[in-house]
Amino acid sequence: MAEDLFKLTLEDKLYRTKYEPDSDHPHISVNDELCAACADKPCVSCCPAEVYKTNPNDERLVTVSHDNCLECGTCVQVCEPESVDWRFPDGAMGVKYRYG
Amino acid sequence: MNDEQVKVDAIVVGGGPAGLAAAYTMARRELEVILVERGEYAGSKNMGGLLYGNILEQMIPGFHEQAPVERPVARRSICFLGGEEHMALDFGAARWGNPPYNHTWTVHRAQFDRWFAGQVEEAGASLLEGLVVDGLVYEGDGASRRAAGIRIRGDEEFFSDVVILADGAHCLLSQAARRELAMAGGKAEQDFALGVKEMIGLPAGVIEDRFGLEDGQGAALDFLGVPFEGMIGGGFIYTQMETVCIGFVARLETFRQSGLQPNEVIDRFKQHPAVRKYLRGGELLEYSAHMIPEGGSRAVPQLAANGLMIAGDAAGLVNASLYKEGTNHAMDSGRRAGEVAAEARAKGSFDRDTLAAYERQMQEGTALADLRKYEQLPEILGGSPELLSLYPARLNRLLVDYFTMTGEPKAVIQKRALKEFMRGIPKLRFVRQLLKARRLM
Repeated sequence: MAEDLFKLTLEDKLYRTKYEPDSDHPHISVNDELCAACADKPCVSCCPAEVYKTNPNDERLVTVSHDNCLECGTCVQVCEPESVDWRFPDGAMGVKYRYG
Repeated sequence: MNDEQVKVDAIVVGGGPAGLAAAYTMARRELEVILVERGEYAGSKNMGGLLYGNILEQMIPGFHEQAPVERPVARRSICFLGGEEHMALDFGAARWGNPPYNHTWTVHRAQFDRWFAGQVEEAGASLLEGLVVDGLVYEGDGASRRAAGIRIRGDEEFFSDVVILADGAHCLLSQAARRELAMAGGKAEQDFALGVKEMIGLPAGVIEDRFGLEDGQGAALDFLGVPFEGMIGGGFIYTQMETVCIGFVARLETFRQSGLQPNEVIDRFKQHPAVRKYLRGGELLEYSAHMIPEGGSRAVPQLAANGLMIAGDAAGLVNASLYKEGTNHAMDSGRRAGEVAAEARAKGSFDRDTLAAYERQMQEGTALADLRKYEQLPEILGGSPELLSLYPARLNRLLVDYFTMTGEPKAVIQKRALKEFMRGIPKLRFVRQLLKARRLM
């Protein structure tokens, strides 16, 4: 029985997308102080790859899984200025679409 | 710069349709050109679906015979989705399946852009892939400050007479350069949408049967309504040769207000009964996301400065109406920027006054004429969210109620359906909004 296309989790979906991971060089960092002051955390709800999640140990903060990043730039747009420091991953690293 | 350093006529940043068109044009005009792309190959960071090929056809006549295009779009549809109802306006023409194929193709951008990059290389440009440009090099002060080259991350600086920035929607470089060279912004801030897409594998014959297509022909279906309720945006399905892609695009601001996650929205859309039948049995091959600048003509910034031109998505050249035209405008702007660079070289001047010819040509061209035509689109949709949700849903219900067989006399059924259709809608507001909606077409 083939996978059920309609029951895939985001994790299943991201697994199909090809990445050149650069785990040791995060291209995203957040400013915890500013995050703590941000009530609605749009990065968490808007990121299509759930890179940002509420920190389970401290719900005022977010955790960042930069290896999932699809490099769309949505977080930079919805986040308060200066809260997220986003730079391009190094050359040829990060998401690598085969279809696009 | 010293004698050891590399200097060329032109540097292009970004290997998407705008940058590739610029580099291709300049290489053909015998400029020495470097194109830098941060992905491992051109297209590896891009996402798309429909390609309008008018401009490319002028640049490379008959391009579709050699390029990896998937299917020409012979069938289009605009479908309104209720909770479980659907209503579609389905149209097409047999001639769209024959040359010149209405210049409308489905493509895999990761493959198409890569092909285009090959053409650019063949035309004589140097393609530097897998390199990140961290910023531009500037020279001079005050009004004579100019872009003079690029800084490659972890590497050297490259110099040029002119830099063309085609760094896409998420244009960190263009933003920095606009600040540095004091370039004017548009009349409005850029307004971004997020697009999310799944690529689903299905056999070619199944695709043709399901979508009612002749062999090798394609479909482009647009969707509005319930899965995207409260958002300014909608969904789409395009057929490639052995894949079907499904996705949605919604304005970030409204998307943020909805509180739904992108992945939830695409799942709701996929599971709609009018949608899932197209996909069943398919295999997910890729999940992708990309931003789209949808601010229209008012958000287009100053496009030329000393030694610098900005093209494509970075310039905000997207027509976000039902045409959803971006790649064509990107290629148009890249080509014009390339032509102006070639003329600037002949003239021996790359200052703002010379390069402003690019900006003038864009203002007078089709791309910006189209963007201006839809200038009010952001505020019409923003001010009347009913246009994308309530009205289509009501029309949908009207049709379904009209044809629901209850056994009652038809006059009773119809009267009730009409009454239900207008329930709670102030007539004047309804008429005013319909008048506004004309400007969206």
